[in-house]
Formats: sequence, structure tokens, C-alpha cells
Amino acid sequence: MVFLEAEMSWNVLISPSQLDRKGLLLRKAIIVRLLEDVTNRRASKEHGYYIAVNQLKAISEGKVRELTGDVLFPVSFTCITQKPMKGEVMVGHVDRILKHGVFLKSGPVESIFLAEKSMSNYKYIGGENAMFMNDHSKLEKDTAVRFKVLGFRWMEADRQFQLLATIAGDFLGPL
Amino acid sequence: MSGEEEENAAELKIGEEFLKAKCLMNCEVAIILEHKYEQIQQHASSESDPSSQVSQVFEKSLQYVKRFSRYKNPDAVRQVRETLSRYGLAEFELCTLGNLCPDTSGEATALVPSLKSGGRFVGDPGDEKIEKMLNDLSLIKKFE
Repeated sequence: MVFLEAEMSWNVLISPSQLDRKGLLLRKAIIVRLLEDVTNRRASKEHGYYIAVNQLKAISEGKVRELTGDVLFPVSFTCITQKPMKGEVMVGHVDRILKHGVFLKSGPVESIFLAEKSMSNYKYIGGENAMFMNDHSKLEKDTAVRFKVLGFRWMEADRQFQLLATIAGDFLGPL
Repeated sequence: MSGEEEENAAELKIGEEFLKAKCLMNCEVAIILEHKYEQIQQHASSESDPSSQVSQVFEKSLQYVKRFSRYKNPDAVRQVRETLSRYGLAEFELCTLGNLCPDTSGEATALVPSLKSGGRFVGDPGDEKIEKMLNDLSLIKKFE
């Protein structure tokens, strides 16, 4: 997968009780709140997964919200993100094996479906340690797999992406 | 399932954010995240602070880049980007090649079809150029 270092500008809300602090303490409160906000938001349809704040660029002057007394600080920073892309070739590992296909995971992307019908000549072999096999190789739990993204959708309720994968193609499949 | 039909990495039809942002290889992200993890660990030992918690997205990504990075040494990582930067690649192409480390020009163009468009690697001389690029990459790995 390809990661990005994306430029971001978010508004960070600081409550009045935290405003008693001066100088470095206020700056720290803003940074802590930013890190919390990034973690809590987890992902968005626009940016993909928010993995880590990388560089803090600027904290601009705060604006008071009249009703609550909270102060909104615009913060510019860079963030390491990962967003799926149709046609991208990625590496993941097998998480679950079902008769009609395989579920893969790849870094922050935890819901990737590889349908049995897109696995060309692999056959399902059931049992306690289920797997898919062909003449040359097999997919079982934790096998590393190189796959291509056929498509994806954003699931707002779970704040995650679901990917549809294929290994039909040259140089794709178990590693 | 509906994807974003107007975007397709294979044809380098990629979103605006990929064009604006700097793309990063797995091995580059590994260095950044491991450094941040060390910082977080140091911070966690000194005080209990919400910013010292590691998010699940961070943790999954760190596990992933550690498992699948081909280059571990920071100098080697810099050399990979330096080497690939000489060949007029788009950021996304550079990172895909740096992540997947194809062995042959056939493998490279199968995984990154956009290499063959745009006139950079045309015909047999283009394949030779790709082979040269991949050979440069394998030398970095050899001497890591």
C-alpha cells in the first residue's frame, strides 16, 4: 500500500478550564487535544485512515465561541494517512477463510474480501485448518498475499473502508 | 460495490490528494512510526497522559510496515528514494515499486501498468531501462 504525508488544517477546541494555563501549557493542551481528535476520528472518506500526526506546522490565533466560552484554535499539521485506491496492488495477510472466499487484512485496512470466483483455479479445502489450494500454492491463515484492489466503499457507521480484492492477474497471489 | 470509478491507480488516474501529498513507501513509514513509538514509550513512562496512548490504526500500521518493509536500514531507505527518483516516476509509482520490489521489467509493468504509458519506458529500450532501475534497487538490498 502507498501511504501519504497529507497537509491538514483542523480546528482544535479548548474548553475554558484549560485556558488558565499559559504559554507552553496551553500549547501542550492544544497538541494533546489534536492527537486525541485524530485518534478518535480514525478515518474519513476524504483522507482515508489517520495513522499518525507527523509535523506540527502552526497554531493560529484562537477564536472564542460566545455561547460556551470554548476557544477554537486552527492547527496546521501533516499527517501520515492511507487511503485505498482502485487498481492499487497491495500486500496483506489472510485473516479468515470461508468457502466462498477469503478475508484479508492489510495494515489499517481490516476488511478486504477476496471472492472464491476471482481466485481462478484455487479450490476450497475445508476442515479445522481450512485453506484454498491450487497446483502451485495455497492460502491459509496468515499467508501473505499480493492482491489488486477491484473496488472499495466507505462505511460511515464503522468509519472504515471495505475493499474487494482479486488475485487473478500476473504476479498476484500468495508470496 | 461501488468504487470511485473515476480513479484507477493502474492507469495513474489518482485522486487530487495523491497529487498534492507526498507519497511514502512502507520502509519510510516504518522509520517514522518506530521513531514516534519510541517517543510515546518514553513519554508514557514519565506521566499518564492521553497523548501517550497508541491508536489501533497506528498499531496496525506499524505492525504492517515492519512485516512488509523490504529495507530496514535508514541509509538504504534514503538510497531507494534517491535511486528511483532518477527515473521520472510519479510519486505513487515510485512508492509501489519501492514496496513491491519486482524482479523483472515484466513484473514491474504488470504491477504498475502506468509505467508503459506516457513515453518514459517505450519498447525494448524502455524495458532495459526498467531492468537497470530494478538492478539498482537490488544492489541496495544486497549491500544493506
